[in-house]
Amino acid sequence: MFGKKKKKKDLLPLEGVITFFGSHNALRAERILKENDYTVALIPGPRAISPNCGVALRFDYTKMQGIEILLLEKQVKYEAFHHYPLQTG
Amino acid sequence: MKVRYFDNAATSWPKPKKVLKKMAYYFDSCGGNPGRSGHRRSIEAGRMILETRELAAELFHLADPSHILFTKNATEALNTVIMGTCRKGDHIITTSMEHNSVLRPLSFLKEQGCEVEIIPASKTGRVDQRLLEKAVRKNTRLVICTHGSNVTGAVNEIESIGTICRKAGVRFLVDAAQTAGVIPLNFSELSADFVAAAGHKGLLGPQGTGVLYVRDNENIVPLTRGGTGSLSDREIQPDFLPDKLESGTLNVIGIAGLGEGIRFLLERGVDQVWEYEGRLLDLFLDILTENSSIQCFGPLDKRFQTGVLSIRIPGISPSEIGECLDREYGILTRIGLHCAPAAHRTIGTFPEGTVRLSWGSFTREKDILYTAKTLKRIARSL
Repeated sequence: MFGKKKKKKDLLPLEGVITFFGSHNALRAERILKENDYTVALIPGPRAISPNCGVALRFDYTKMQGIEILLLEKQVKYEAFHHYPLQTG
Repeated sequence: MKVRYFDNAATSWPKPKKVLKKMAYYFDSCGGNPGRSGHRRSIEAGRMILETRELAAELFHLADPSHILFTKNATEALNTVIMGTCRKGDHIITTSMEHNSVLRPLSFLKEQGCEVEIIPASKTGRVDQRLLEKAVRKNTRLVICTHGSNVTGAVNEIESIGTICRKAGVRFLVDAAQTAGVIPLNFSELSADFVAAAGHKGLLGPQGTGVLYVRDNENIVPLTRGGTGSLSDREIQPDFLPDKLESGTLNVIGIAGLGEGIRFLLERGVDQVWEYEGRLLDLFLDILTENSSIQCFGPLDKRFQTGVLSIRIPGISPSEIGECLDREYGILTRIGLHCAPAAHRTIGTFPEGTVRLSWGSFTREKDILYTAKTLKRIARSL
């Protein structure tokens, strides 16, 4: 239980979620952003904001601008950036 | 009996050890359906697919890996383009050196009202691009050309054919089943709209894998439609790559293995493979053509030929030679028509076909020497 709580706490500052049209770009975005020292986490795409069965990417909402520029530069196609804090702490 | 494998044009063997290791890792420790769920195993499987896609993009000098699609083989990749771009009334140009994976879907399209024009290649199996250029019409929809013949190894100048097509505004499909992983290919510079490749030949992956490069996803209708893990709230096929042309669960275990085959090539360098296979061709020809009745077909020039050589020995049928090589000497070849009857008509070896010897990255010089000398011994014994 302790481990689980710790993990959720780590995700708390990541109030943004990027949604993608398909998992290919979600996984690619994860790899590129991690390589560039952004803290991100793949999560099951929340149904409220993502029509996909696959994954979305949680990120630090305060760093949206830099992330958006990097994804455009690397030709990673995304659907949208959302402000979507964790519903449960 | 020691085996000398000379059937790399059908499927390469052996594969780099890491291919099986990666496949075993997926089977034993990963599992998971990529892009379908959000759990860790699904994500890991997805990362394996992405990794192979990115490795393939690196190998073919492509900035955006989403234009690399996975199919079950080169045949499916070719069919995806042929069936997905041509309609009744279209004019399609191809060559007499094509494999049945091109000619059979084209025969079907002919019955459906397409016009198919086959450009005759030379006796060595190379295509005269001037004939091809002359054949282009206003309603030409697609030009299809093999990069390397699976019968003679003859290499066509796809760069200049691509330029002709681009100038004429006609889409160009390259069949690189025999050349991907053997001849350096740069998709960013090549004027091709589609390139089809087998994963289990020069790319050194397992069977059940193929690769299709698609320059843009417009004006191509998918061969299959279905689940992609994306846009799941809609009942229409996504129109973006790779999902548009990759329906249903992918061959994850095979694609994971394919990634390691491609990684091996990136480490070794495809230019090195090309140079090495050419050196083996020289060695083969030096022995076979010296005081021998053996007939060799193809350009017989390493600048225009892959590691494929078709031969015949007058007075003995290709099937008898193939059987003797296997049973008596452990030399494994492929005899007959190689699923390319038109190519054999072109080089004058229809209907008996030839004995095809095809080598690869792991063939050793001593295997070539042994095989060449064995063939000469068989020829002398007649």
